[in-house]
Amino acid sequence: MTNWMNHHVQALKLVLGRMRDNLLSTFMICLVVGVATSLPGLFYVGVDNLSKLSGHMQDETEISLFLKVGVSQETVATIEAALSKNTEIKQHHFVNKDEAWKRFQDESANNGDINKVILQLNKNPLPDAFFIQAKSAEPEALEALKNSLQTLPGVEQALLNSEWAKRLSILLKLGTKIIFVIAALLAITLLIIIGNTVRMQILTQKDEIEVSNLMGATSSFIRTPFLYAGMLYGLFGGLLAIAIMAGIMEAFNLSIAQISSLYSSDFSIALLNPKLFIGIIFTATFIGWLGSYIAVSRSIASFKIN
Amino acid sequence: MIQFDQVTKRYPGSDEALKNVSFSIDAGEWVFVTGHSGAGKSTLLKLTAAIERPTSGTVLIANQNISKLKSSAIPFMRRRFGVVFQDHKLLYDRNCFENVILPLRINGVAGAEAAKRVRAALDKVGLLHKEKAMPITLSGGEQQRLAIARAVVSRPSILIADEPTGNLDASYAADIMGIFQAFNQVGVTVIMATHDALGLSASHSRVLHLNHGQLSQSESPMS
Repeated sequence: MTNWMNHHVQALKLVLGRMRDNLLSTFMICLVVGVATSLPGLFYVGVDNLSKLSGHMQDETEISLFLKVGVSQETVATIEAALSKNTEIKQHHFVNKDEAWKRFQDESANNGDINKVILQLNKNPLPDAFFIQAKSAEPEALEALKNSLQTLPGVEQALLNSEWAKRLSILLKLGTKIIFVIAALLAITLLIIIGNTVRMQILTQKDEIEVSNLMGATSSFIRTPFLYAGMLYGLFGGLLAIAIMAGIMEAFNLSIAQISSLYSSDFSIALLNPKLFIGIIFTATFIGWLGSYIAVSRSIASFKIN
Repeated sequence: MIQFDQVTKRYPGSDEALKNVSFSIDAGEWVFVTGHSGAGKSTLLKLTAAIERPTSGTVLIANQNISKLKSSAIPFMRRRFGVVFQDHKLLYDRNCFENVILPLRINGVAGAEAAKRVRAALDKVGLLHKEKAMPITLSGGEQQRLAIARAVVSRPSILIADEPTGNLDASYAADIMGIFQAFNQVGVTVIMATHDALGLSASHSRVLHLNHGQLSQSESPMS
């Protein structure tokens, strides 16, 4: 056990020592890892925040239920009852046509043209209507609800005023897919970069590896320092990626706060996302480990006894 | 302790380096391996130290058949030996102390115990005052002694040396032989390849003489 500990502590010391001796090149490799990792990370933050924002807006989407002109009080009562029973509806309110007409006239009192048109109409053209807020903000659920309401007797037309939200949601799904593709491509790139870096180090330490092998070093003894090197590149790169992301998000947040205040919203990008950060560090470290494992295994295979 | 039975070694694309070689070496023995250049001395030593496997025949080390040993068990077999390579194989990017400590790291010895043993080994070969020196600054004889210190630091029971006095002048060579003799006297088995008459005449040791890969004579100690 202490032997095993010694082995790992020594390997780690050795690697950290080598990194300290080559500070600049180590920093460069970590920076490459950091920049490559921060790209999909930033995309993710962007899409994630846009979906949150679109969630915000969908809260305000309504289904407008326009009734047929001249429906009876009983029909209105039946619809009212059906809406109250529907579990998918958060709240609804009824606006009768006289009320709506009056409000419309009041609101356009200052607009001369419309006022003229209103005065020319000698009867109220507006129907009775229900305004409904659904519990769900999902476009599909809203669509389904709208269609079911459309079939109620006495309903002329159900209107969902969230078509744009639906489109945005589809675009965001596309964005998520693009992130995955970019992340996968960059992961492969990182694997190659770290693998090559470790391969170069193996080449510079070829003598040491050969001598150690002849003296009875196990594969794991030879492999461990390189695995630590790869993992540390990933770890430091991941930390740099988070620093880069935090810096960029902070800069963006200033502008976003200004825009938000114009729309009297307090929306801003959440700076701290521990899950994302831990995910980035873990992934980068794993890629570092895998890259160096592949490189060092190939090198060790060449020392096979024959 | 070491037993060769009908051992043949052929490298890809060349003739047989060793042909039907059989001999055995007991613990504590001193054995010279002689022969012309290319006779198979180095091959014989490599097979002995579990650095290579025979093409046919069996090599037994401490009753273990090298051919049948799993690859993962080979490193542990190699740790029984201290090997002084023909080309030293010193690491020129680190000082003497760091060179000698390498086998101890491999064996999992660390800290004060390791430092103590490194200094003891350097002391035995007379290089204690050079522990901080880089190997490149040492003379040929000193480099050879450093290689010996590295071979003995993990206290192996068998020392294998491939032409350790190869290109040294006579006084240095005698020096080196003296160091090996000191180890042999405390029970370490020494197997040494040499084409140099000095060592041979000075001792009554057993000689394995190789001629084109074949063992031509195996003399027992004459005492």
